[in-house]
Amino acid sequence: MNQAEVIAKLQAIFDTVFLEPVVLTPAISAKDVPEWDSLTHISLMVSVEKAFNVRFRVGEVETAKNVGEFADLILKRQQEP
Amino acid sequence: MDTAEIKSLLLANEPSFWARLKTLTKAARDFEELFLLSSLRKKAHARKLAGPNLSAKTLRLAMLGGYSLYPLHELIEHLCEVENFPVELWLGDYDNYISEIMDDDSGLYTFAPHVVFILPAERRCSYTGQLTDARELPQDEAQRTVDSILDLARRVNEKTRAEIITTNFMLPARHDLGAFRSRTLGSDWSFRKWVNLELGLNAPSYLHMCDWEFLANRLGGLAARDERAWFESKQPCSSTLLVELAREAAQLIAALKRAPKKVLVLDLDNTLWGGVVADDGLEGIELGDTSPRGEAFKAFQKYIVSLKQRGVLLAVCSKNDLAKAQEPFQKHPEMVLRLDDIVSFKANWEPKSENIRAMAPELNLGLDSFVFVDDNPAEIEIVRQFAPEVTTILLGPDPSDYVAQLADCRLFESRSITTEDAGRTSQYRSDVQRKALEVSVTDMASYLESLQMEAVISEFVPVDVPRLAQLINKSNQFNLTTRRRSEAEVIEVMNDKKFIGYSVRLKDRFGDHGLISIVIGEKVGDAMRIDTWLMSCRVLKRGVEEEVLNELVRLAKLKDCRSLLGTFLPTPKNDMVRDFYSRMGFSLTAETETKREFELRLESFRAVSTKIKIIRRAYESG
Repeated sequence: MNQAEVIAKLQAIFDTVFLEPVVLTPAISAKDVPEWDSLTHISLMVSVEKAFNVRFRVGEVETAKNVGEFADLILKRQQEP
Repeated sequence: MDTAEIKSLLLANEPSFWARLKTLTKAARDFEELFLLSSLRKKAHARKLAGPNLSAKTLRLAMLGGYSLYPLHELIEHLCEVENFPVELWLGDYDNYISEIMDDDSGLYTFAPHVVFILPAERRCSYTGQLTDARELPQDEAQRTVDSILDLARRVNEKTRAEIITTNFMLPARHDLGAFRSRTLGSDWSFRKWVNLELGLNAPSYLHMCDWEFLANRLGGLAARDERAWFESKQPCSSTLLVELAREAAQLIAALKRAPKKVLVLDLDNTLWGGVVADDGLEGIELGDTSPRGEAFKAFQKYIVSLKQRGVLLAVCSKNDLAKAQEPFQKHPEMVLRLDDIVSFKANWEPKSENIRAMAPELNLGLDSFVFVDDNPAEIEIVRQFAPEVTTILLGPDPSDYVAQLADCRLFESRSITTEDAGRTSQYRSDVQRKALEVSVTDMASYLESLQMEAVISEFVPVDVPRLAQLINKSNQFNLTTRRRSEAEVIEVMNDKKFIGYSVRLKDRFGDHGLISIVIGEKVGDAMRIDTWLMSCRVLKRGVEEEVLNELVRLAKLKDCRSLLGTFLPTPKNDMVRDFYSRMGFSLTAETETKREFELRLESFRAVSTKIKIIRRAYESG
């Protein structure tokens, strides 16, 4: 999997979680999406961990500044479980 | 879960969105599913999508505790609203619950909650001494931990009169300490078990236990916890357990106002025994310890008897020949259920929906108190369609799962089990005998005389509070105003001098009916306003109504009142008392679609004589 493929798969999860369509790009972040608040974020992370079968380490999700960095983090955790 | 469908309903502003939301919410087990449904609900409100008629009264729920209450609050709010108990929330700050409770000026008290949900911090529930300390030391500390929670609850209750729900404590799930953990009271394992037991056993009636230990145990200790979620956002437990915790809290909140089911209607063939008795014969059915399937059916019957002992009425509804259907009850040596356990036995070829409909007036209960279980999906479907008020449970396919299906259905849970619950079957059975006598005695007056009725009228007393609240919350038919009150609210009436409150117990030569009627009056000026008047329909037309009125007039005169003011508030279920006040001699003073008001001038009232011997009257000692 590369970053683009991860983002494509993330798109499906976002489509489920959000009512208004959001087109994911590497540069997009929570502040660009009105529905993406701290509550939705918790739910989003639970869905992502299940879909990609990964578990993030404590505190590391918040270091990702945008969707691109978040996709890279997913890739990193997939490679070194 | 297919979210595309419900989302498209929402985007098309379809009112059927709400029914779909309810169905999906009931089925949802995953946190993210439930959370998504809650988001959709909020969006539907934002879009002003025409909703179901929500209960007009919003319950004010305060949540506070030693954890972050986001997003637990969201799940609870969602579940309550979907169950038609909409809540308005007040959330305490993270781990600020002790000062929020102790500070008289705290937002908690300005909010004036109806229900307060407290989640005491787990890290304050550990023994602070050494593992090897003498047992008395951790025991004392555990007691102090329990007392501190009970004190907080008492303080909140005294200041707000709210019902209070508290969690207890999850147990550790790691091997730490090894087998030694259960040989000392100093380990978290033993200490928390002790605290949980003491807390539950000493909780007063206004304090309800949200049994977190049980919920975590049911899910599995390892799956219950999520350390990362604690470090990152102070979550109380794993997201999976958070769903169960929210469901339990919503269930407890609903149970404060909603009555449990009263009747369990049972199919026979392949429900109580394996096989078809009319085809296989008495010897051919599978029941009892000779085969694994037979054992499973017998275990199911034993469980059903335990429900009966908790006050659930049992009935049978079977497509069968009556004599053949009853034969196992009379003759099969492995039958646990016997005919006298069953209050209504319908074995015929009429549709089951009609049979269950016929039971309701026989037992003087609403159809919504009935639960029907059957292994046949077609029978379940008929009842669902033609008697939709009845709750149905489709059993199967494996009889070894039957007990679990009933034990997890959550329909027969009483907040407190009263001694009157346990005796209910015999009350209803003697009703059947009594009705037989009624047929044989032609003259009503001599029939009533032959019953040798005795009544005890008592003002509200603390020992009656659970039963008073139970009746106030479940009486539907003979209930003039259908005002519901929690135990705490009953106590409030009991202690308020403006109010009079009394109950009637009745017995006759066939048995004790227990507490069957309740009246609450409020003195307003020189009138006594009848806030509540309700009665169990089982004692209709025996003279209880008249005696209750005699007593009401007597007490009103003692309070220097000149008139009684009665109100009838119509509901879908209380039409039988629509003209009750007129029948009792009151005159109609005002009438709208939602309210009828009546008045009785005391100077023109003459006490009515009945066949009931009054053993004691309210507010009289002895």
